[in-house]
Amino acid sequence: MIRKSQNSLWNDAFQRLKKNKLSMVCLFIIIAYIILALGCKLGLFFPSFNETNNAISYQAPSAEHWFGTDFMGRDVMARAAHGTLTSLTVGLWGTGLAVIIGTLLGSLAGYFGKLVDEGIVWLYTTIDTIPYILLVSAFSLVLGPSLYTLCIAIGLTTWVGLCRVVRAEFIKHREKEYVQAASSIGASHARRIFTHILPNVFHIVLIQFSLGFVSTIKSEVILSFLGLGVEPGTPSWGVMINNAKQELARGVWWGLASATLLMFVLVLAFNLFNDALRDALDPKLKNKS
Amino acid sequence: MLKYAIRRILYMFPILLGITLVTFLLFNVAGGDPAVQMAGKYATEAEIEAIRKDLGTSGPLYVQFGNYIKQIVTFDFGRSWATKQEVTRMIFGEEFRTSPMLVSVSLTFPAFFITLVLAISIGLLLTFYRGGVLDKSIMVVCLGAISISSLVYILFLQYYLGYKLGLFPISGISYDWVDKWNYLALPIIIFVALSLGSNVLFFRTIFLDEVFQDYVRTARAKGLSNKVVMFRHVLRNALIPIITLVVIQIPFLITGTLLIESFFSLPGLGGLIYNAINNADFPVIKAMTFISAVLYMFFQLLSDILYAVVDPKVQLK
Amino acid sequence: MGCIKQIITSLTIGLLSISMFTACTSDKKKFENSISIAYGSDVKALDPVFAEDYYASQVSSQIFETLYEYHYLKRPLVVQPLLAESMPKISEDGLTYTIKLKKGIFFQDNEAFKEGKGRELTAEDFIYSWKRLLDPANKSQGTWVFDGKVKGVSDWREKMRKGLADYDTPIEGLQATDKNTIQIKLEKPYHQLIYVLAMTYTAPTAKEVVDKYGEEIINHPVGTGPFILKDWIKSNKIVLVKNPNFRDMTYPTEKDEEDPESMLKDAGKKIPFVDKLVFNIITEDQTRWLNFMKGNLDILSIPKDNFDSSIANDQIVTDLADKGLELHVNTEPDLTYIAMNMKDPILGKNKKLRQAITLAYNTDAALKKFYNDRGIVAQSIIPPTIDGYDPSFKNPYKDFDVEKAKKLMVEAGYPNGKGLPEFEFATTSSSTAVQMAEFFKDQMSQIGINIKIVPNSWPQFTQKIHDAKAQIWGIAWVSDYPDAENFLQLLYGENVSPGPNGSNFVNAEYDKLYKQALLLPSGEKRTKLYHKMRDIASEELPMIPMIHRQGYYLTHGWIENFKRHITISDNFKYIRVNMDKKKKLKPEL
Repeated sequence: MIRKSQNSLWNDAFQRLKKNKLSMVCLFIIIAYIILALGCKLGLFFPSFNETNNAISYQAPSAEHWFGTDFMGRDVMARAAHGTLTSLTVGLWGTGLAVIIGTLLGSLAGYFGKLVDEGIVWLYTTIDTIPYILLVSAFSLVLGPSLYTLCIAIGLTTWVGLCRVVRAEFIKHREKEYVQAASSIGASHARRIFTHILPNVFHIVLIQFSLGFVSTIKSEVILSFLGLGVEPGTPSWGVMINNAKQELARGVWWGLASATLLMFVLVLAFNLFNDALRDALDPKLKNKS
Repeated sequence: MLKYAIRRILYMFPILLGITLVTFLLFNVAGGDPAVQMAGKYATEAEIEAIRKDLGTSGPLYVQFGNYIKQIVTFDFGRSWATKQEVTRMIFGEEFRTSPMLVSVSLTFPAFFITLVLAISIGLLLTFYRGGVLDKSIMVVCLGAISISSLVYILFLQYYLGYKLGLFPISGISYDWVDKWNYLALPIIIFVALSLGSNVLFFRTIFLDEVFQDYVRTARAKGLSNKVVMFRHVLRNALIPIITLVVIQIPFLITGTLLIESFFSLPGLGGLIYNAINNADFPVIKAMTFISAVLYMFFQLLSDILYAVVDPKVQLK
Repeated sequence: MGCIKQIITSLTIGLLSISMFTACTSDKKKFENSISIAYGSDVKALDPVFAEDYYASQVSSQIFETLYEYHYLKRPLVVQPLLAESMPKISEDGLTYTIKLKKGIFFQDNEAFKEGKGRELTAEDFIYSWKRLLDPANKSQGTWVFDGKVKGVSDWREKMRKGLADYDTPIEGLQATDKNTIQIKLEKPYHQLIYVLAMTYTAPTAKEVVDKYGEEIINHPVGTGPFILKDWIKSNKIVLVKNPNFRDMTYPTEKDEEDPESMLKDAGKKIPFVDKLVFNIITEDQTRWLNFMKGNLDILSIPKDNFDSSIANDQIVTDLADKGLELHVNTEPDLTYIAMNMKDPILGKNKKLRQAITLAYNTDAALKKFYNDRGIVAQSIIPPTIDGYDPSFKNPYKDFDVEKAKKLMVEAGYPNGKGLPEFEFATTSSSTAVQMAEFFKDQMSQIGINIKIVPNSWPQFTQKIHDAKAQIWGIAWVSDYPDAENFLQLLYGENVSPGPNGSNFVNAEYDKLYKQALLLPSGEKRTKLYHKMRDIASEELPMIPMIHRQGYYLTHGWIENFKRHITISDNFKYIRVNMDKKKKLKPEL
């Protein structure tokens, strides 16, 4: 019975999403970005992104290089395309880590309550109280800046919001009939957490993941400004935008333009899609507009 | 109520301990040895060890941690490793007029206020015309606005409004109470531009939440006009999330904005943090972490209590 | 919804009108007889003892004065007396210096003095200040100027550390023989002494002031110089004003051959000319450049990225020239280099590998890319404008030649990089530093060497070098004084990490020559030794000399008598602001 209601929730959500044309366009764009990133990863698209040519550094857009070249004479379009890979990687792993930590701790705290709850609440309140920038920079100082450090630092610092939401949901659900019923037939704690309650709060996790994804992509730019971004040489939108504060002075706008454009479209698509997703999944807002 | 407040205040202590522990571990273990930097290019190992002793960074970690706790209790964070200035004075300034905290606050408070007024107005407007072309297009504009990196806004607005059009000074600050706003106007505009989009979306969601509550339906059913419902009921009931948002934001407003302060050469707390990170200036980072954490806890508490006062439905455990 | 619209418009108008209104009120202040410049990072302590970085030293040297200074216009640099009455009297064995003070020099007024009036400077003030510099408790980075060179200094410092001495304990080599005479006794000849007596580290401070302010002395500089600290808002700006009691000091009457006649227009006139100096802290290049273009800053070192838009063929572009801007180019005693750690088992043991690395690096391209060609490709460790520089010297490995480099790689036993591990290139995390690292990596890939770039915060970076844990890194050295010794010591065996010899280069022959040269006064004999050392360094290549950067400065049309040298920091007293021109030119910007 419970299964059925879940299925109908997801089904229903999907139907609603499908009806919303704008969100389908956004989904299409997001998929296109994923294909682009995968293609870059596999070397299918822009395999020459690291090819340098000192003779043509800072060349304006031309037929050969549509978006010009950077200081090393590398093709900016290829760099920006590969920046997609970097951004999606950071977004996926960084947010993914945060979601895993947040969901796990949140469910434990909400489900068990008492001391476990106190401990976890203490941990996330502490983490939440320390300014994000200071925390991330500390992690970067310890681990040395690299793509993985960035993912770990973001993962370890951004799980708090999700943890809170999941904890609250678990507190709500743990007293519900279906959980009580499961416990009466002797289901283990793990079973109750993962197969019974979690699926019921999963739509919230999904929404939070999607939101976190966008903010992670955006914070990569700020972290690059602080010198805490990806390894030098790795194509990244953050580095490209950050370099623009110097390049603009010499009239080099194409690095900034291509990175900003690519990022703009992706983040906008994600934001619009998120909005639709939330409307579709969050039953509380179901009846509006 | 009082009991609740006391309990909450007592709960701050374990959190404080946690903050101290985390910052200590991160920065004392990481971040390079400041003694080396301070000793200079011709120093001997003996001299460096002497400096370490002076800084309290020699000896076993538990002794160093003890020093740290002592500093926090006495609220004396020593002198900066990078600038040799007293940390407390670097944060609070020589005098109130030139205090970095005041600089940050002079920028962020008015900017946040303007953002709030604009965002609430636009949010109401969108709720009023929900689902229409206006709603949809403004939403897309807002989403678009928050999809652009803040660095881009700063670079362009400083160049065009500050330099090309010459409407505002390019950078800097004046400590004259009137002249100051001349310098802060452009940073404030940029701050508003940066935060407006997400705030509009936030308030739109909140108002929409309210619109579908039963009491609104009842009010409508009673034949009250849409306008009256919006202003008298929806806005009033949305006050709770608004107040919570405002109070929770205050500590972040106090600690300033890193990028804007850096580009406009504003000597506020954001820049202070930026420099401290760059120089692994442990005393300043420590102090800033501690102070912002305390501020955060205080305003969190305040918001919880306010929430309880405004909304009698909330039970205090 | 009209009300919302109203709110929006009134808010915008409100902000704009505040801005307009205040812009009008600040208009009146616009034409001051003052010089405004910008620094890229915060100024630390204003105390000669802590004059360790360029910014602190430059601001301090407007307030404090030293016994000697460099002639403002003559090149190469010429030392002349400032607080001293004349050049020092040196004993025949070269070990005793006797220096007479000028009479009638007073400290700037301060509450620390009786009735707030600055008292006369005495020889004792120097001895006291130098003890402060050497006091281990003060942790000054400038102790090397006397330590190990002047008699009794190391001994006194050791005793101070153990608490066995105080400021009343005399130092044998640093004595005031009467009110106006200082005597310095050396352990061995130290020909650079005259130069360190021109460094801000050795400027005198009054004991009364130090006693009054204690640790806060760093915020209360009181010297004898032409400017007084008026206002210092941390991370924002430092304002100095003219010292009303400054003694009669005049603008030089002689100039360098290359200077235009106009540089002597003010010859013999009383200095300083300006009422006020403002040092602004502006970290971002864009902000600095835009402020200069608006005339808010008077003098600017051109940011590398604004170069193309301001300079063409070493001439200022016409639309800037039309605004009255002037370009000043000067060659400076500066060296950027890529150091390699000789303690590294592979890099240190293999000369051919280091030679190959040097050959594969295209310095011309780097000069163009990162410095807009405003510099000289460095052939050796000795930079131009100082004793020992030879413009005709060519380092055989500085010719960019990938084929030759590949051959050397074969000889080194690593054909096409086979068998070599990945090397770490340490850098700071600023965009430009990282770009330079990327360029190095790219160049090395030509001969099959793999480089991993490791960005660091500045303290992490210095610590890595200090602990000899870095493998390869890029860094720069700017001369403290005009003697090649200041650069050659970067490879001296006794200066290895944690000393300035970060390459940890130890070469018996080199060290022998260095010790010999130390004992010699400047002259042909010493220059020969310098050249021999240079040749060893050029063959062994523990560091790749990269570029001698040149100074490119822009000034506005109203700035007169401007001439720069990186070693001369007390130059603001000579600069004049032409008020008529300022009133005419500034509103046009």
